[in-house]
Amino acid sequence: MDSTLSMTVLPPKRGREKAVLLLAMALAAGSFSLAIGEEATPAPNGDLPQKVSFNEHIRPIFAKHCVACHGGVKQASGLSFIYRDLATGECDSGNRPIVPGNSKESYLIERITDADLETRMPPSDHGPPLSKRDVELLRRWIDQGAEWELHWSFVAPKPQTVPGVKHDAWPRDPLDNFILAKLESAGLAPAPEADRATWLRRASLDLTGMPPTADEYAAFELDNRPDAYERAADRLFASPHFGERWASMWLDVARYADTQGYEKDNGRDIWPYRDWVIRAFNADMPFDEFTVKQLAGDLLPNATLADRLATAFNRNTQTNTEGGTDDEEYRTVAVLDRVSTVWQTWQGMTFRCTQCHSHPYDPFRHDEFYKFIAFFNTSRDADLNGDEPVLRVPNDDAKWSEAQRLDEQIAKLRQQTTEQTAALATDHAQWTWQKPVSAEVNGDARLVVRDDPSEKVPEVLAKGTVPQGCVFTLKFTAAKATRVTALRIDALPPDLEAALKTPAAGFVLSRLKAHVASPEGADLGEIKFVAAACDEADPLFDVEESMRDNPEGWEQYTRQTYPRWAVFIPEKPVDLPAGGSLRLALHFGLADSGAGALYIQRARFALSESPAWTALVGSQAYHDAKEQLAALLKQRQAIPATAVPVMGEQEPQDARRTYVFTRGNWLDKDREVQPGVPAVMPPLPAGVRADRLAMARWFASKENPLTARVMVNRLWQELFGAGIVETAEDFGTSGELPSHPELLDYLALRFQNEDQWSVKRMLRELVLSATYRQSSVLNAEKIEKDSRNRLLSRGPRTRLTAEMVRDQALVLSGRFSPKMFGQPVMPPQPDGVWRSVYNGAKWKTAKGENRYRRAVYTYWKRTSGYPSMLTFDAPSRDVCVVRRIATNTPLQALVTLNDQAFVELAQGFAERMDAVGGDEHAKIAAGYEQATGHRIEPEKLARLAQLYDEAAAAYEAHADEAKSLAANRERYALCVVANAILNLDEVLTK
Amino acid sequence: MRVSIHEEQEQLTLAQTTRRHFLGDCVAGLGSFWLASQLGGRLASAASVERDPAAPLAPASPHFAPKAKRVIYLHMAGSPSQLDLFEHKPELEKLSGQDCPQSFLAGKRFAFIRGVPKLLGSPFPYAQHGQSGAWLSSLMPNFANVVDDVCFIHSMQTDQFNHGPAQLLVHTGNQNLGYASMGSWATYGLGTENQNLPGFVVLLSGGHFPDAGKSVWGAGFLPSVYQGVQCRSSGDPVLFLSNPPGIDRDLRGKVVQAIADIDRQTYAETGDPETVARVSQYELAYRMQVSATDAMDFAKEPAHIHQLYGTKPGEESLANNCLLARRLIERGVRFVQLFDWGWDSHGTTNDTAINIGFAEKCRVLDRCASALLVDLKQRGLLDDTLVVWSGEFGRTPMRENRGGREMPFIGRDHHPHAFTLWMAGGGVRGGFSYGETDPIGYAPVGEPVQVRDVHATILHLLGMDHQKLIFPYQGLNQKLTGVKSARVIDEILA
Repeated sequence: MDSTLSMTVLPPKRGREKAVLLLAMALAAGSFSLAIGEEATPAPNGDLPQKVSFNEHIRPIFAKHCVACHGGVKQASGLSFIYRDLATGECDSGNRPIVPGNSKESYLIERITDADLETRMPPSDHGPPLSKRDVELLRRWIDQGAEWELHWSFVAPKPQTVPGVKHDAWPRDPLDNFILAKLESAGLAPAPEADRATWLRRASLDLTGMPPTADEYAAFELDNRPDAYERAADRLFASPHFGERWASMWLDVARYADTQGYEKDNGRDIWPYRDWVIRAFNADMPFDEFTVKQLAGDLLPNATLADRLATAFNRNTQTNTEGGTDDEEYRTVAVLDRVSTVWQTWQGMTFRCTQCHSHPYDPFRHDEFYKFIAFFNTSRDADLNGDEPVLRVPNDDAKWSEAQRLDEQIAKLRQQTTEQTAALATDHAQWTWQKPVSAEVNGDARLVVRDDPSEKVPEVLAKGTVPQGCVFTLKFTAAKATRVTALRIDALPPDLEAALKTPAAGFVLSRLKAHVASPEGADLGEIKFVAAACDEADPLFDVEESMRDNPEGWEQYTRQTYPRWAVFIPEKPVDLPAGGSLRLALHFGLADSGAGALYIQRARFALSESPAWTALVGSQAYHDAKEQLAALLKQRQAIPATAVPVMGEQEPQDARRTYVFTRGNWLDKDREVQPGVPAVMPPLPAGVRADRLAMARWFASKENPLTARVMVNRLWQELFGAGIVETAEDFGTSGELPSHPELLDYLALRFQNEDQWSVKRMLRELVLSATYRQSSVLNAEKIEKDSRNRLLSRGPRTRLTAEMVRDQALVLSGRFSPKMFGQPVMPPQPDGVWRSVYNGAKWKTAKGENRYRRAVYTYWKRTSGYPSMLTFDAPSRDVCVVRRIATNTPLQALVTLNDQAFVELAQGFAERMDAVGGDEHAKIAAGYEQATGHRIEPEKLARLAQLYDEAAAAYEAHADEAKSLAANRERYALCVVANAILNLDEVLTK
Repeated sequence: MRVSIHEEQEQLTLAQTTRRHFLGDCVAGLGSFWLASQLGGRLASAASVERDPAAPLAPASPHFAPKAKRVIYLHMAGSPSQLDLFEHKPELEKLSGQDCPQSFLAGKRFAFIRGVPKLLGSPFPYAQHGQSGAWLSSLMPNFANVVDDVCFIHSMQTDQFNHGPAQLLVHTGNQNLGYASMGSWATYGLGTENQNLPGFVVLLSGGHFPDAGKSVWGAGFLPSVYQGVQCRSSGDPVLFLSNPPGIDRDLRGKVVQAIADIDRQTYAETGDPETVARVSQYELAYRMQVSATDAMDFAKEPAHIHQLYGTKPGEESLANNCLLARRLIERGVRFVQLFDWGWDSHGTTNDTAINIGFAEKCRVLDRCASALLVDLKQRGLLDDTLVVWSGEFGRTPMRENRGGREMPFIGRDHHPHAFTLWMAGGGVRGGFSYGETDPIGYAPVGEPVQVRDVHATILHLLGMDHQKLIFPYQGLNQKLTGVKSARVIDEILA
């Protein structure tokens, strides 16, 4: 990783002096220190375990003292403690660091116990020597056979025995036993159960993202049935707002935004995917299904429109439309991002580390990253400005099945037609290659005619500076009279081998014109083509557009990997007299984002005399198919729809190959690799085609050791403020160990087995647990023994998320619109916030109910996020984020005090307080109670009443200005109090 | 119920002490959300910065005695032509109009140049200035007076040739999104001297965001409290700074006091130190309302200062932002980041013609950047304030031929292989030029200076070792300088 490491050259310590032992060692103190953990092992001289465990005892020693230099990236002296084969084999010096079963012969022991400080490992400037206990552990472990174990998270979760506890009346769910057992061993008691209102507010915010209404508080308070909590929870799970709240969590992971990102950051219509997520959570789609659909819904047998929409998950990557950007470069960036994102999302792994080299700490090898890339490298998207391919998702749900039926028919018809023409076109015997007698192009460029050196086929090469809008003018002379029934054009990348690795510039044949001339040169008229076909069933532009006057046409937009062909067919055979000529004009009207012309760099031309072409285009069947396709397309077009970027797979003959990037550089490609999963993980099932669908099912399988753990941990994190594995983004060697490993395994197995991947069932178990029901009040003992609540000795107390801060204020204001789904909305935002370059988009503040929609529907612009949400720690969603870090800043105070969006909600809240009636004390008390669920303490009431009086006095002093907030003195004072209540710690916290 | 100011202060101190007790005595402290051990898993090392979440921007000691206490970074978004300002290339002028040799084109990728472009000498005459004899084009007459305070690096290089990624690289050390910007790192490492103002302020001119958007002043993986705060010329100087219509400052103070009083009661009930932290953030916000407004209101500056910079209150301009930058650092802001948009001189229009729009922008730049150095110096601030100026890459020594055609105006394409960056004040060697390029200015002669070297140098001048300013995230100790080797450019240190 870091090449500024000090190098120490030491003489070999042993007799075998064949190599100079070169020890590149880490770091001057502090630089990129890989010292792991504080004191992972207890102080020296503790009792040694009978059987030494690699995971428990040995890996922490290696991680702390050794792998900075002898790891996955740096393998100083040819030695790595990540892989057993490297640690037990000979390193560069010829010594064997570890000889299993024989610590005396193990060079490792010799070096760590070396009396010579110059040569002892680790070097003194890199860290302290190993403790006696550590050395003894290593000795014993080697003598016991030096068994390697996988890092805990790569080992499948094991069934757990629910631990016994002393205070056995406390647990409500087996999960509580795990928590209580640990509390008891720490000498702690759980906190008392929180009062009902506290639980209800906590659960409502956690499950639906919104606070309870006054009625809900009252009903729950009065419900004395034994299953009152269960009923309350079930009401929350049944609420449509459940999906909105959990979608907010998932959309961070999915890096969902309403714009494309990068410089122009243009709008992107991908909100139907957001709605898909909300619906999936509401319908409690099992998490395995949820996984497969988002990763490979398009490849499912009988994929529905909704399945294909789900794949937009991976089209939330950014599209770079800046002028002069290389589409292949940013396509590659998007593919890398997908791999990084799916590993973060489903495995909690920092797989991206493996882009440039083997993983520094975890057993992922460099090649394995690219094998995984191969699953994603054959998708059709290519950083095009229009985000193609897109799926036209009907705006009206009722039209989805009709649209799907039409799509299927259209695809089938196109496939049939393409197969039919391809069968004819690839009958090579009919084609006669043509060599132009003259070839010209405008601008500073020139066309070179040659016979291809290997195949001896005549071809035209474009050289020099070919301008956008160029025209190739070619003249072919007929040696003998020819009845032309079809013209075939082949477009090749300049270097076939090079293009396989990094695609060449593509082309768009905007217009093809063909004339026949007599031997004397007289124009005998234009050839009217009536049909065209190419080697792709569903190209970006219709190949027949080349026959019409517009910029579109036969294309390979914007980059080309493989040779392409197209055939143009006249209605009737065209007679080319002997000595006469065929004149072609090829117009290339489009350019790439750097204004580089998109023309055929290497073109071949052939003519056919086969009557089959004329018969084909004259046949009723061909005619009918064309008419039918046009009719179907028209019908489909008539359904109002939103074009959503989705995943689509390249046809097998077009599929890109995948190569290892040398040191992560996409322009420097090394060996080719095939799709596959890392060796440390369970393999793909035998006999399954290794494609994106297989990969999706592999993530979603019960054999995958991480998927269930990572999801359960995420649900836990959302409820308790921190996961059982606190580093939700890193379940690897460098991440935190789980606080309750047995509980994590227990919950993971329960989630995937008993709960059948049901998120609602898992959450239900969590919110009804005794652990979750605890009061969050702190006392001195808990501060001392469980300061950060990692043992869960009390209930969670966390600040609301950015979305909840807004949604809660909306609900309290009484102006909340429960309208779900649809285009993103624009609540008030200060003027002048949006200023992207080359982008005319404007923030148009919503009027009516769209002004008061939930935060999940707020327009999410990547380069300029909604300011108040960013201030409350919402990410930009440029990349996958699995954990938000809550901060506490003065800018947050300014938002909730002053932001117009919050001020008008305070006005609404004041109206509702006013409507309660009674004196101001009653109104204030009602407002407070609504906001917190609790009756107001007399002291707090007195303090707010004082503020009320102060505000009323201010109104009287400056009535003119004050009127812009409220129409009269009483309402004004209530408004100010409402503003204060919305800013109270207990209101901003759950 | 009302307590005296004195009592209130005592209460607050008590609450803060209680909080410190948690933080100090309880290993990692309650709610201490970014103590390294919690954030980064088991990578945290002794070198990682520990910060009290109750005072995340409190001044912190650097690793060693700093030369610069604060930074003003002037970024010309779009990237001005070094060849028309600071790079005197007589050979290029001689060859102007000739085809660019193939050796400069083979295997190179350009944003817009296609085929064979023509070489383009500068249309502006050059002369030497100051005791140092630095070459400046005629576009920089005022700058001639300050060149002896300036250190030029002519051998800058980057590997990104599109604006967005290149700007990200300059500001976050990585061309991809999701990394922390320089100013975030500086405030994470050092905090800031004035708690009543943001520690990292961003000022924009030119009518647009920089191409890479807010990510160039984002906190990336650092806690969001370290992201840059945009101060604006129109509307609220800081978003949501002003009280809403109908609530005046006096009443706002009463609201904040009421919130604080009630929160303290809540703290007594729940014992959550995060509540105490919130109280202090509200009080800070209340003070910031005055101090930020005051810092941004430069109309009252004396006439000779307006004359010096060319400032006009009420508009959004580079000149105004230069003066604001001085006012902000004067008040203890740690890092002031300016972006001036409109330097992408491709020659497609009047505005982007080297001899028209570019020259016009240079007139403004010359005056206000020179004024900033003069003004800092006369106030004794230049000694410990580092001023840095750059684009995100350079411009080609070739005239742009977009789409392979001659352009209507004279322009240059993006050029990652060589560009000029200058620094002044804060411990750099004034009147010095470091590095040089070949006779046509295509590429550095000898070892180029990378963006990460500049990062290492800026951090060094601020008293920080770039290898030690780390933040554990996703299994790595993240650094501004990234994973490739970076060096402090010792040669340019005073």
